[in-house]
Amino acid sequence: MNNTRYRISSPTRVLIAAGVALALAACAAAPPKSTGAADARAKLTVLQSDANLATQAPVAIKEAEAAVVAAEAPQTDEQVAVHLAYLADRKVEIAEAQSQARFAQAERTKLSEQRESARLDARTREADIAKDQAASAEAAAIEQKRLADGARTDADAQRAASAVETAEMQRQIDELQAKATDRGLVLTLGDVLFKTGKAELNSGATSSLDKLAAFLEQYPDRSAAIEGHTDSAGSEDYNLDLSQRRAQSVRAYLMGQGVGASRLAATGMGETQPLGGNDSADGRQQNRRVEVIIDNPTPAIR
Amino acid sequence: MYESSQAPPRLLKAVGMACALLLVAACASTPPPSEALRAAEQAISNAERAEAAQYAAAELGEARTRLVSANEAVKEEKMVVAQQLAEQARVEAELAAARAEAAKAGKVNEEMKRGNDALVEETQRNSGAPR
Repeated sequence: MNNTRYRISSPTRVLIAAGVALALAACAAAPPKSTGAADARAKLTVLQSDANLATQAPVAIKEAEAAVVAAEAPQTDEQVAVHLAYLADRKVEIAEAQSQARFAQAERTKLSEQRESARLDARTREADIAKDQAASAEAAAIEQKRLADGARTDADAQRAASAVETAEMQRQIDELQAKATDRGLVLTLGDVLFKTGKAELNSGATSSLDKLAAFLEQYPDRSAAIEGHTDSAGSEDYNLDLSQRRAQSVRAYLMGQGVGASRLAATGMGETQPLGGNDSADGRQQNRRVEVIIDNPTPAIR
Repeated sequence: MYESSQAPPRLLKAVGMACALLLVAACASTPPPSEALRAAEQAISNAERAEAAQYAAAELGEARTRLVSANEAVKEEKMVVAQQLAEQARVEAELAAARAEAAKAGKVNEEMKRGNDALVEETQRNSGAPR
């Protein structure tokens, strides 16, 4: 009787066996992870190991991680497993997209810096070009100034030289006791050159003619007109002839000193151009003379 | 002699009762997943504001489709399915928004890059030979 005490009716036994079998089967059938969850996990791992993206969207990555873990939990309901895998997959995708957006924004800072640097570079180049242009302009200006200075120096030198020249000439003119007139420099040689009635130069009375010769030698662009004059004593013809011969004597002397014949003209003026009155001894002495007119140099030559 | 054999029927009865209770409870405690549906709608309008229609049209379309399906499931009293579909619509819409933002950011960067390249090129052209 004792063993009937533990006897279970056969329908009940069948039910229990079925239940246990079902439970075992359920356990065996439930996969440790759904394939969808595995895919999501793989994608998440790729994202997490991407150096550019892994740290961009930490919150989204954390949510994705939680969703993947939830999907990885064994599920008895296939539909729930698929659902959770779907959510996990999308959460991973969201994390990836957000990371890309953030990375692009971070890149933008770099791009802005590059832009600034490119702008700066452009400006620097422009400035360099401008500086180069300014430098060459300055160099050109300096060169021009130098040329101008040189020209000025030349002009100054010329002016100074001509001033010196003028002063020297003036000194020599003074020495010749010449007078500046419209006709040129007029040098009057007194009658001390000649004996009365003679046309030969007195020896020892030629110092003023020597100075004249030196002057003409120094200024080869000037020529001289030599005019002989007499007082009214004696006949006009005689006086004219005498004045001509005296003028020729002076010309000959100057030619002898090396002055070119073409630069010297000799004319006798006779008694026609008295300086003083012929009625006094002083007047007659003034009238007896040889004038040397040194023409002004032609402007074309100077 | 059979006093112990009365237990199994009692146990069966209890299991049956529990099952019935659970079933009733399940039906009674599953209202429409209105919160999940609202969240999905919100996520979709966020995505629309992010110009997902232009930059992530496929994802946005998918989100809308799933939201429609979720509402249909509600009508069919399949609240669990409706909940799942609403949640899926929401993540799909969130994905649409995220992809739209990423696409726009990438586009902006592309334009900036082009601008920079043009600037560099122009600078080099203006200055003649690169120094």
